[in-house]
Amino acid sequence: MSKLYYEDFAVGRIDELGSVTVTAEEIVEFAREFDPQPFHIDEKAAEGTRYGGLIASGWHTCGIAMRLIAEGLLARSAALGAPGVEECRWLVPVRPGDTLSVRGVVLDMWPSRSKPMGFVRRRYEVRNQKGDLVCTLTGPGMFARRPAEAA
Amino acid sequence: MIHFEDIRVGDSREYGSRTLTAADIIRFGKKFDPQPFHVDERAAADSFYGGLIASGWHTAAIAMRLMVDGMRQEGGAANVGSPGFDDLKWLKPVRPGDTLRVRTRCIDKRDSRSNPALGSCRFQVEVVNQRDEIVMSYVAIGIYLKRQPAA
Repeated sequence: MSKLYYEDFAVGRIDELGSVTVTAEEIVEFAREFDPQPFHIDEKAAEGTRYGGLIASGWHTCGIAMRLIAEGLLARSAALGAPGVEECRWLVPVRPGDTLSVRGVVLDMWPSRSKPMGFVRRRYEVRNQKGDLVCTLTGPGMFARRPAEAA
Repeated sequence: MIHFEDIRVGDSREYGSRTLTAADIIRFGKKFDPQPFHVDERAAADSFYGGLIASGWHTAAIAMRLMVDGMRQEGGAANVGSPGFDDLKWLKPVRPGDTLRVRTRCIDKRDSRSNPALGSCRFQVEVVNQRDEIVMSYVAIGIYLKRQPAA
């Protein structure tokens, strides 16, 4: 399969980027290292909170989404990274056993004025197995322009 | 324990530091952001970035850990979660051997419109390296319990 360059994307394009199931062990492992708040690392403590049980760190949800984006889209693209994220919303808690799926929708795109690349602005939508929208991530990604073909 | 009323607009904090190794960068990259420049030293050397760089999500996760540890040292915060974040910018690459520090400043606060027991605060968060360069910034949103719920 040939690589996707900036020119291969279009506003309105939708990419389905696969899914993965999150375990309690993974939730606790991530949170112990990066977000050790009680509702992310301790089932018992989490049961006593408004969440009623262990929930994933929002940053873990972002990491899971990024993994699916990297494997599902960036691995077959001339991807150059991203300057940031305009907005992220954690809408619904992610719980052990949830299966998360990611979809990317192209909202906007524009070429760089100075470099042989362009920006593709997407909204990534993370849904659970019930179809609930659990997380959204909106922002630009950088992609190389297609190299000129040799004559 | 810090509650909503204790947080004042303008309050600023600096929290801890963490040094990243190449092994740390690759381990996180393989799990959550498997783009070549985050997981493969040789591919990274050939890339736009000229060498291995940390995933921006790794930088964000480290920042979260430093903030959680720091708040714990202050006696903890009655933080019940976050709806997400805004305006995240990855300003400079983070490379093996870099030492990152986090600083925060409260930029606004408001009562919850739906729940009189809660309020939300926004913080400008900056992650700084050993050269005092800002490598990442974003606006964090935290939801806190009030000591005195609104009537």
